[in-house]
Amino acid sequence: MAKSNLFVNGSEGDKAIVLGNEAIARGALEAGIGYASMYPGTPASEIIAVLDKNKKHVENLYTEFSLNEHISLHGAIGASWSGIRSLCAMKNVGLNVASEPAQFLAYTGVKAGLVLAIGSDPGAPSSSNEQDDRWYSLHTYMPIMEPSNIQEAKDFTKDAFDVSEEFSFGIILMAPSRLCHNAGVLRFGNIRDRKNIKGNFKKDPENYLNLFSLAVKNHAKYLERNELLKKYLIESKFNKIINDGQSKIGFISSGVIYAHLMEAFDILGVYDHKILKLGFSFPISNELIKRFFEGLEKVVVVEEAEGFLEFQIKKIAYETGFKGSIYGKEFFSRTGEITLDDVISGVSRFLEKPLPVSFDFAAKKDKELSDKLPQRSGTFCIGCPHRATFYSILKAVGFSNTDEKERDVVIAGDIGCYTLGLLPPYNAMDFLTCMNAGLSIGQAISNFDKSKKVIALVGDSTFYHSGIPVLLNAVQNGADILYIILDNSWTAMTGHQKTPSTQKDIDGKPSANVLNLKDLVKSLGVSYVKSLDPNSVKRFSAQIKSALKEPGVKVLIAKRECILQEIRRNKSLFKNDPKVAETGESLYEIQKSRCVKCNECFVELACPAIILKKDEDTGGDYYYIDPASCVKCGVCYEICPNSAIRKVEFDLKSEFKIDGKSLEIAI
Amino acid sequence: MKKFNIAIVGLGGQGIITMGTVMKNAALNSDLQDVSGSERRGGAQREGYVETFVKYIFYENAAEMNSPRKNMHSPMIESGGANALISLEPLETLRGIKYLNKNSIVIFNKTPYIPISVRMGKTKYPEISFIVSELQKVTKHIYYYDIDAISLEKFNALTQKNIIALGILFAKADIPIERSAVESVLAEGKGAENNLKAFALGLNL
Repeated sequence: MAKSNLFVNGSEGDKAIVLGNEAIARGALEAGIGYASMYPGTPASEIIAVLDKNKKHVENLYTEFSLNEHISLHGAIGASWSGIRSLCAMKNVGLNVASEPAQFLAYTGVKAGLVLAIGSDPGAPSSSNEQDDRWYSLHTYMPIMEPSNIQEAKDFTKDAFDVSEEFSFGIILMAPSRLCHNAGVLRFGNIRDRKNIKGNFKKDPENYLNLFSLAVKNHAKYLERNELLKKYLIESKFNKIINDGQSKIGFISSGVIYAHLMEAFDILGVYDHKILKLGFSFPISNELIKRFFEGLEKVVVVEEAEGFLEFQIKKIAYETGFKGSIYGKEFFSRTGEITLDDVISGVSRFLEKPLPVSFDFAAKKDKELSDKLPQRSGTFCIGCPHRATFYSILKAVGFSNTDEKERDVVIAGDIGCYTLGLLPPYNAMDFLTCMNAGLSIGQAISNFDKSKKVIALVGDSTFYHSGIPVLLNAVQNGADILYIILDNSWTAMTGHQKTPSTQKDIDGKPSANVLNLKDLVKSLGVSYVKSLDPNSVKRFSAQIKSALKEPGVKVLIAKRECILQEIRRNKSLFKNDPKVAETGESLYEIQKSRCVKCNECFVELACPAIILKKDEDTGGDYYYIDPASCVKCGVCYEICPNSAIRKVEFDLKSEFKIDGKSLEIAI
Repeated sequence: MKKFNIAIVGLGGQGIITMGTVMKNAALNSDLQDVSGSERRGGAQREGYVETFVKYIFYENAAEMNSPRKNMHSPMIESGGANALISLEPLETLRGIKYLNKNSIVIFNKTPYIPISVRMGKTKYPEISFIVSELQKVTKHIYYYDIDAISLEKFNALTQKNIIALGILFAKADIPIERSAVESVLAEGKGAENNLKAFALGLNL
């Protein structure tokens, strides 16, 4: 964003570089929303984050990071019924949680416009599945708009509120991670006057009450509204037929894949085929498709995932008596992200047109090399308390990364930063699916396989999302399981939104209504509950060991704030308070002479601040703590079995300490 | 219509996204100009692979800009489609090799960050000579520096390495964007003084 904060103040004629997610948020702002909420989830998080960050500069805007998607969408519905235009955002799998309000929304309809922005994640770079939420609309009847670029992300969102009000549907604005995280030029429009955004809930029993025959009546009503919308979409500006050739071949596409397709045509030098760009991928009007089919013999649908458009187009082709052939998934994969490369290759195969030489050469070179290159996977940040938690768990169950033996304790995974614990070198998860699956699946496993101990993991934000009933269920049904809540006080992975555990904001301000997690767990009927600092790995590990010996539900809270937030806060305090600067410095170092390269810190703990260095004298390698990246969490210092790591402290009075003992050294 | 594509790759935390943002903001001064490009974020933040694309488009006239056949562009760069590749980590340069063609300019940072698989002894980190020879099979225009060391030496921090790399890009490639446009973006941003110094430093390498 430019320095003058165009996101809030921009108007027609202004332009700026913005993220796809910010463009969606700006479109909602231009449309005059008064409500915005989400449960954070990549790739959608910035949509609400940017509104939340700017709300103090925007009149009459309420923002909320709700505890889960079910609550968040209900909040948007309540706002809409109060006459407030509302925006709700979530990631693809969020709609599973919000599927209930989504299912009812067509029955009740909206009052003020309601838009549900969904960040889908083909290729699952930040998700646990690749689900295409568009299929939901076959039964929720929520219309779906798919912007193709940043400008459309803003413009479509703005228009979606009008369509929502006209046809009384909540509109889904679908953006894949490629668009959410596409940054480029956005041309602004004007913002609707915000002075008169005021709630006024009017009772509407005919629409809002759904029971028995009332529900049946509303069912019929929304099917009718759906037909009206289809009619509107025949001539609307959102769907476009591009036809300037004589070709008997037609292409149908939508969203970012349409952008890939247009560029692929340019790269392949193909300009004469008929194209249908669907701005609305649901509902699709038979009449529109019939018009597009005219004069065509072959049609190919270019889209991601399992062919939602193809499914609809083939049905319409049958109903309208189209005699040509329809293709789609024969040329474009059902799995993974469909990249620009995939579209180029698919179109080239479909049209039997050769690939450009440089494209072909580069793609082959990449294929030839990719198997030879060491893979790189994400890991915990330097100083992350989760690293200490995983280290402690593996130590407590007697497992080493370099062992050949199988770990016999079952570890149930869940969703959050700590999910990275399933990757090497920890490999510390046996299953991972959706939010709060860990404890519930783990409970059943511990019930049916008594030979194995089960540890279930969950983060604080995930626990508050929907974990409370899961824990209560385990207690009520006499489960035998160890539940570790990794409480780092933030929804860290999505950009640090607050949770009920957040004690202090980043500026040091204490939060209102901080929850005492230990008391909450106790109140659910758990008698074995302890809160510990995971960075005290020896103590934590011993505690896990003894908890595993106890019967029933045991809860350990690994309580330590996300290191990134701690550092950020300290930095701002440091900047504002010159006295803090005088408290001296410390560092951890590995003494070359004592280190026997046992790998406890380098492989077992695997902190990225500990690196391998070449010894110029001997030509060999040694381990070294990089002072530029070490954040002094001290975990490696505690675990080194040979006391090869020492803590060096010095302050402005030139006092010099090693492992806490003063030394007299002239500096 | 003219295009210019830059692929920037590296690891989470190296300032890759910022580089893209700076380069994009330098393209706001003409109406017949467009820029976009997607970023890889999310799970890739911690030591994982990050890439960002900067795709410039320069239209001949307004008609071209408004034509649906011309104005819709993918946020991605296709295989062989980059005019320039910047990589802030040597191994990741090879992961970006797919974007190169025989005219592409490659700028990479020599300081390796060892992946976990190498740490565990399961694979070996390639030698710089291997990386260079693989790149040479595609393009002759390869420039590499120990940008980490340069940033540490001049700024006592690693944080300037991304802007130093942008300076090198302008020194080595014929970028259709004015240097002064980048400089004014840097001048308006956070840490302007060091960033302008870093950019100038890169220009003279």
